Amino acid sequence: MNININKVALRWSLIGAPLLWQLMFFALPLLFLLVISFCSVQNFQLAADFTFKNWSTMLGRDTFWSAYNYTWALALATAFSASLFALPAAYSISFHMSQRMRTIAIILLVIPFFTSYLVRAYAWQIFLADNGVINALLSPLGFSTISMLNTTFGSWVGYLTLCMPLVILIQVMGMMQIDPSLIQAARNLSAGPFRCLFEVVIPSIKASLVVAWLFAFILTFGDFVSPTYLGGGASPTLSNLIIDTVKSGQQWPRAAVVAIAMIATLVATSLAAMAYAYKGKK
Amino acid sequence: MENILIEVDRVTKRFGDYTAVTQTSLSIERGEFLAIMGSSGCGKTTLLRMLAGLEEPSTGEIRLDGVLQNGLPAWERELPLVWQSLALFPFLSVLDNVAFGLKMRGVPKAQRHAQTWVWLKKLELEEFAHRNVAQLSGGQRQRVALARALVTEPKVLLLDEPLSALDAHLSVRMQALLRSLQRELGITFIYVTHSQSEAFSMADRVVVMSRGKVEQVGAPKDIYRHPANRFVAEFIGNVNIFKGRIEGLSNGVATLQTSLGRMTASIGDVSARLGAESDFFVNADQILLNTADYPGNSIKAKLLSYKFVGNMVTLYLEREGGEELKVTLPEPAYDSAGLKIGDLICASWPTVSAHLFPESH
Amino acid sequence: MIWKITRWGGRLYTLFVFLVILAPLVASLIFSFNSDRFPSLPLKEFTTEWYLLTFTDPLVLEALQRSFLVAIPVGLLSTVLGFAAAYSDYRYSFRGKNLFNLLMMLPPTIPAVIMGLAMLSYLSRINLAGNVYSIFISHVVISLPFAMALIRLRLAQMDPSLEEAAWNLQANSAQSLRYVVVPYCAQSLFAAFLITTAVSFDEFAVAWFVSGLEETVPVRVLVFLQGQVSPRINAIGTVVFATSILLVVLAMAVSGVGKSIRPKATDQ
Repeated sequence: MNININKVALRWSLIGAPLLWQLMFFALPLLFLLVISFCSVQNFQLAADFTFKNWSTMLGRDTFWSAYNYTWALALATAFSASLFALPAAYSISFHMSQRMRTIAIILLVIPFFTSYLVRAYAWQIFLADNGVINALLSPLGFSTISMLNTTFGSWVGYLTLCMPLVILIQVMGMMQIDPSLIQAARNLSAGPFRCLFEVVIPSIKASLVVAWLFAFILTFGDFVSPTYLGGGASPTLSNLIIDTVKSGQQWPRAAVVAIAMIATLVATSLAAMAYAYKGKK
Repeated sequence: MENILIEVDRVTKRFGDYTAVTQTSLSIERGEFLAIMGSSGCGKTTLLRMLAGLEEPSTGEIRLDGVLQNGLPAWERELPLVWQSLALFPFLSVLDNVAFGLKMRGVPKAQRHAQTWVWLKKLELEEFAHRNVAQLSGGQRQRVALARALVTEPKVLLLDEPLSALDAHLSVRMQALLRSLQRELGITFIYVTHSQSEAFSMADRVVVMSRGKVEQVGAPKDIYRHPANRFVAEFIGNVNIFKGRIEGLSNGVATLQTSLGRMTASIGDVSARLGAESDFFVNADQILLNTADYPGNSIKAKLLSYKFVGNMVTLYLEREGGEELKVTLPEPAYDSAGLKIGDLICASWPTVSAHLFPESH
Repeated sequence: MIWKITRWGGRLYTLFVFLVILAPLVASLIFSFNSDRFPSLPLKEFTTEWYLLTFTDPLVLEALQRSFLVAIPVGLLSTVLGFAAAYSDYRYSFRGKNLFNLLMMLPPTIPAVIMGLAMLSYLSRINLAGNVYSIFISHVVISLPFAMALIRLRLAQMDPSLEEAAWNLQANSAQSLRYVVVPYCAQSLFAAFLITTAVSFDEFAVAWFVSGLEETVPVRVLVFLQGQVSPRINAIGTVVFATSILLVVLAMAVSGVGKSIRPKATDQ
């Protein structure tokens, strides 16, 4: 049965190679993070002991909870607002554009997704600064300087820049799966465009809408760039908290606690969202 | 025994709860054109795939030239297959497609090319040799698939409904090509199809399958004249089936009481019992029309419609009780009969044209 | 009538949304040529001094070199592993397959900060942190899902009889992979390579955590940003953006993605 050994060997190396890599360099580091959260730091070194002190300290701190609530609220607001802003655009792209225009639109959406978010977020400073482009355009019209940088508004703008392309894309993908004859039927029954949207399109693509929302939430929940460079860092998010904790005195266990708390929140939110999206199906 | 090339021995194939092939046995001879025929889901493709090694039998054995094939992976067997979708490699030229099997066997390049060119010439594909397969027409792609399978000079060629996507005209031409190729090469062709006309026009022997079982094996003519059971008869389609009870048996003739009166049928090899409910059939081309005083089996039927197929006419009549009666006759005979739709016609046939079915399972 | 209004209103709105999305990129590009230190209107003189400064800064050049040095091997390994994972999902069934797929596809959903922290603490434990190897390892983990998703899409289009035909013609499992599956996926493999290279080239958060002193370009940008405001950032940003765009557009052209986006009813 020598011939079959080759077949088996191939199968296991194809499955095994990526599996091994992800286990060693993805699963284990995250597991390690969990372990660290129960260790203590002595003399700037990790000690191999087991303690709940990191957890009790962190979860007892006001700074932690204010950061948690702030991050949670901001991510929620971004996810919903992004989904809302994206909807008309996605609808237009899916149903009111020629094939060629649609392809161009999708390419334009994919490109920012793969380019430096860092630079894009930073570039918003050009627009939002007190002496930036927007204020420069508004002041001759008599408006006083609007403070947009270093505020929650700034963070929010940055977050939208991060997740909007993806949200639009996912919504478009969902809408393109709709049988166009459904819309045609609705029109024939004298449904106006808004009724059409709310009673035909949205229910059909509930799953895609939820997935788009979820991705927006996940991306913004963990982002540190926008709050730092556009939000001013005065009101830190959980990600800011992690970075500060690491930078000041190598307090990795405490940072790990924040990280685990974030992961738990994200997993719970994902499970809830997926359950809602696919409720009643299959 | 030396004439048997492939032995399928009580093979069963189960996919979970579903049994695709049940206890099937078959002996396939050297050099014959065998057609395996049936409607979808009858197991014919599964059987073919088991021969090729793409599926393993759940129970039973398959032997090629006496050598057990069970457990051998597909690439260790030498039963090339012509696929329904043709499965030509879209990224290779015609030449490279055809040469593929030789390359996998490690045949050196020069010899590979030479052998491939022989086949390209044989199937009139030389001018397309360096073209990509996507640029060819349906018929040309068929020939590439054939060449690719035959270039390795196998003992057997498997074909899985290769002509189903072709239009009727092209299909007929390809059937002629396949037949002449098989005769010329003298190798075994195993041809799976749902089309009765394909099977009957090309094959030496036909295997009729239904729901995982073999219903009948025989030459096309034998199956046509003597369908083994009701299923095969209905599948072939050119028979009229009657129900009756056997009232008398003598001299190879059974007398039956039917809803249309008393009729006679030949017993043949069937075991018949007095008093048993039995079906019998009459071939559509054995029925005579407009014979008022016929000393044999005779019924009255109303002409509903007719259809011209080539130079034959098929008449669809309704017999008493509403069932259909199908009659085929040559066009000149039809013309001279002067029939009109709605006519009440006398249809008759001699005893030798009616045959009993074996007891159904 | 109202449909017509919403049609054009929708298009206008979409245009506005796209403008807002692309605004920072365009602004960055414009102001990278502006002679004023602080980005504001009205524009001052056109100048290329920021680009000159950037390209003569040894730290930036070093970072650029390192970015490519890391990104290309990342692209190669991610594509190979991504192919292996995609093919395994396509062809094999095994226990725990769902978990396997989850493990492969999960990294993009973990916030970069957390990945950075996890990789930093783990890799320093096994003495691999603070150098290009740590960036390499982290980036492969992050870009593998993209390669896998892209190649899996292509495999889904493959006629299953193609591989069976190969086996039928005496190609064993390895040969059918080499002579049939890989050539069939060639375009997607190349596209996956380009995309994963781009992802690595752009990735800054995890790289920042694990790279220590051996910076890549985005990390250098990050360091810049923590310093004073400088229009050089616009210059670097534009260069990074241009490189990434080039890679992505190339990938899309190679894999023919644009042609495959079609609404359901007109599918052939």
